[in-house]
Amino acid sequence: MKNIHMKIYIILMFLSGVLQLSIFNISWEYFRMIQAIHIVSSAIVSVLLLVPYVNKHTYEFMIVKKAKSTSGVILGIVLFLIIVSGFYLFLVGNPGSDLLGMYSYYIHLYGSFVLMFFLFAHAKKKINPPQVSLLLAFVLVIASPTESLAKSSSKLTNIELEDGVDIYHNEDWTNSAKCKSCHTEIFNQWADSNHRHLVGTNPYYMVMETLAAEDKGEGFRKWCMGCHNPSAVTTGAEKTTHPMNDNSMPDVLFESGSKSLIDELKTHGNSRLEQGVSCITCHRITKTSSSGNSSYTLDITNRKKYALEDSNTDVERWLSEKFINANPKVHKESYSNTIYKTSAYCASCHDEFLPDSKKEVVSTFKEWEKSKYNNPNDKSKHKTCIDCHMTYLKDGKLSPLKGTSTTGGTIKDDIKVHYFAGSNHFLSGLKNKTNEDQTIQLLRTSAELDVDIKDGKVLVGVKNVGAGHHLPTGVSDFRELWLDITLYDKDSNIVFSSGKLKSDGNLDKDARPFMKVFGDENSKPVGLLFWRYKKLLSDTRIKSGERRVEIFDIPNAGNLKYPLKIDVKLNFRIYPQWVTDAVKRAYPQLPNPPVVLLERIEADYDNSIKPK
Amino acid sequence: MNFFIKAGLFVILLLFTVSIFLPTKEKRQFSDKELREVALSRNMSSTPATYKDLLKLVDTPQNKLTKSRVDLGRDLYHDTILSKNKDISCATCHVLSKDQNKKNKFLELLTSKTNDKTDCVVCHLRDQSGTDRFETAVGHNGVKNQFHLNTLTTLNSALAKYQTWDGSVKTPEEQVGASIQDPYQMNLLASEAQQRLLEDEEYVKKFNLSYSSVNFENIKKAIGAYLRTLVTRSDYDRFLDGDDLAMSKKAKKGLANFLNFGCKGCHTGVTVGGQSIQKFPLRDYNSIVGVTNSYNESDKGREVSQFDLNGEFYHPYPFENKGGFMGKNGERLFRVPMLRNVTKTSPYFHNGAVAKLREAVFLMGKHQLGMNLTDEQIDEIVAFLKALEGDIVDYNIQESES
Repeated sequence: MKNIHMKIYIILMFLSGVLQLSIFNISWEYFRMIQAIHIVSSAIVSVLLLVPYVNKHTYEFMIVKKAKSTSGVILGIVLFLIIVSGFYLFLVGNPGSDLLGMYSYYIHLYGSFVLMFFLFAHAKKKINPPQVSLLLAFVLVIASPTESLAKSSSKLTNIELEDGVDIYHNEDWTNSAKCKSCHTEIFNQWADSNHRHLVGTNPYYMVMETLAAEDKGEGFRKWCMGCHNPSAVTTGAEKTTHPMNDNSMPDVLFESGSKSLIDELKTHGNSRLEQGVSCITCHRITKTSSSGNSSYTLDITNRKKYALEDSNTDVERWLSEKFINANPKVHKESYSNTIYKTSAYCASCHDEFLPDSKKEVVSTFKEWEKSKYNNPNDKSKHKTCIDCHMTYLKDGKLSPLKGTSTTGGTIKDDIKVHYFAGSNHFLSGLKNKTNEDQTIQLLRTSAELDVDIKDGKVLVGVKNVGAGHHLPTGVSDFRELWLDITLYDKDSNIVFSSGKLKSDGNLDKDARPFMKVFGDENSKPVGLLFWRYKKLLSDTRIKSGERRVEIFDIPNAGNLKYPLKIDVKLNFRIYPQWVTDAVKRAYPQLPNPPVVLLERIEADYDNSIKPK
Repeated sequence: MNFFIKAGLFVILLLFTVSIFLPTKEKRQFSDKELREVALSRNMSSTPATYKDLLKLVDTPQNKLTKSRVDLGRDLYHDTILSKNKDISCATCHVLSKDQNKKNKFLELLTSKTNDKTDCVVCHLRDQSGTDRFETAVGHNGVKNQFHLNTLTTLNSALAKYQTWDGSVKTPEEQVGASIQDPYQMNLLASEAQQRLLEDEEYVKKFNLSYSSVNFENIKKAIGAYLRTLVTRSDYDRFLDGDDLAMSKKAKKGLANFLNFGCKGCHTGVTVGGQSIQKFPLRDYNSIVGVTNSYNESDKGREVSQFDLNGEFYHPYPFENKGGFMGKNGERLFRVPMLRNVTKTSPYFHNGAVAKLREAVFLMGKHQLGMNLTDEQIDEIVAFLKALEGDIVDYNIQESES
């Protein structure tokens, strides 16, 4: 009776495998369980029972009894192929670019039908040509409509809006460190990016949130946390916290690769989740708008998780990764959405409003909407946020990176890098030079300088050539972009200068930074307390495509000793010194952000000759 | 062989059906009024809102409260003169600001030209937590507590029956004396403390006014007097005093859970804890199978719900045993911690090994009550614990007849 057991095993394995086919479209809860059971039990059954049995059976009939059975031989070969491909899928998986993985998948899928045919044929101990042709036809019918398979399964991606849930629990989220094992490159890029370091690891943010709570009440923290700390605010946390390691704060300022985040996952599981904009946050946003702060819709609980995916133990996590890798389609669909490609996707956080007056603090998306890059009719000129901010830069140019987003995944022509290069080179630069370099390269594509000296005046033109928004944008009340000018006469004496730093590190009064200045209701600058903004005192930022001309009078212009030599620099500093000084009170280990040179132009002037 | 298999199967079946045979306790639903009545009947009460009521609660014949005594105590609490190196005061670890009513403390610290505060305090002074937020206390010369014990808050501490983690100290005055002399804390001899204050004219004047003379006993009393006024009032107190709207619906559900599940058995009294010494953990789960029950929302009451297989090595606590402290007499007996302001005194447990309140609630449910609390139940209890957070009451103490 032993061979009937074996047949039952094989048929059970076949059925549990077939049920996973997308044409059956079974509900995800069942799917993930069936997948896990299929994989684990098949592995155990084939190693412990099937292979020994087949060995013995073959030996008994073909060696000892010298029987000749074509169906038996074919059955053996097919079974061998299926077991090998199954193990390949289990241990290596089918992540995309791996040709063997793809072959394994198809061999495992279609081979199982062939196996079933020969199993019955072998049981009858004969095969006839009509049966074989019938089988071939069956396989072809199944094999050909791969598109139809894909289409019907797209239902799995019909992400629904989450209603009825008013609060998430920590267990609903996934720590980004879990994504690292398969998406290593992307994780490492994100791990030192500004999206990661928005909360407990960002001294400026921690100080500002606390200050906002003192000024406007504890409840006001939520205004900040909506975008900065989605996992905390959706799990009902009322304030942002920072990690602690015994009695000290881990050195998160200078640590690359978010090592402490990975350690945290190991020791605390999901109990600590504050990691800025995590993988799940962005990849489970289903709807966005720019109508208010953090106006995005999350859908965390409806995602399709493979068996054991939530587990924090090593073995179970390893298994869950294998389950995903064996058939990663559902996983991919769970975390991708076409809205990622639209600029409106970023608008929910990159347009900021004051909650009471609806005054716009940041309006990067709205600036982009009015720029020439918003050109949906001409695809070649239309550039969305990710075309600049998530595209790899090389030698100062946007150069799409060819590669994979998953270890062993499909090779894509333009990997969307997760450095999130913007303007804050400083905090990510303390951790990782590549992240800093990407940001500075991007910054340097933004503006062009020209200079002229006429009628005793220095005329400097600054053109916003690269940015699809104002220069600077974002929290442009805390950004410094300014012209640093030095004019030398014939004897190399400085006859005029502007935009120098004072000894205390602050920008000199005569500098003309391109920035926004917010004032309160009495038109007094708000300083650190930007949420007190009632009146816009000045906005000297440069719009997308605009050329701004700054004119400086040269003192004593009549008595200049020609030829003159001028040195103009377009400088950028991420935070003014007085902001850093305040933050350093709470974080003494914070260094001062450096001044970054974006553009430089040097020219000589004779009184008669035009500038070179 | 067959018999053993069958017997094994029977046992397993029995385990899974045992919940049917267990008696279930009817779950009690409370109206606001009932909730208040039940809480008050279980020895829980609100903190005093007026100085008169405060005196009823904390005044002792040994250390009568007067304005000058409290003021002196406040000065001493915030003065580094009582530490050996003259670098730390009570307020260094039991962080409080001297002027409770000052607004914009944080902005001032950030922008002032001089900043004498250390980096953590710049932000955490706002907590007004009466503790340092560290895992373990740091004292004289930056030395950590030998048992890795967490700093307890001074807020409401005078209302507790027992002080310190093992409950070995009874009064705040006694604790003040111990803290000043403890080599791991301020490490100052009693005689030296007395000598230093005698050399300070201002203090001599103040002591003469309030206690007649400078001596170590009176130093303890003065700071004790100040500690007796560090009482907080919260939404929970306003609810107990009759304001139905003071607590959110969720917090009320949390309080109901707190009463129903049996948390109130130990965390009781005006301080919601601090009134008794109890064993922790009550349930070990060091056996191969750990059976815990849960409190079912939809059904009547408790049910056996989970069999944990436990393959771990023996562990005295459900968290890392940092410092190896084993409680009173080494029997894992601890003073029940006060839950007032628990939301601002993380990390938790005697060695600060648990960072998050939710996890602490879960562990207490599992190990003290033998229940697997659901996420929702933890949410509600945490909401209740948040309602226990309050500000220090300004009793506006006036100089009375002495």
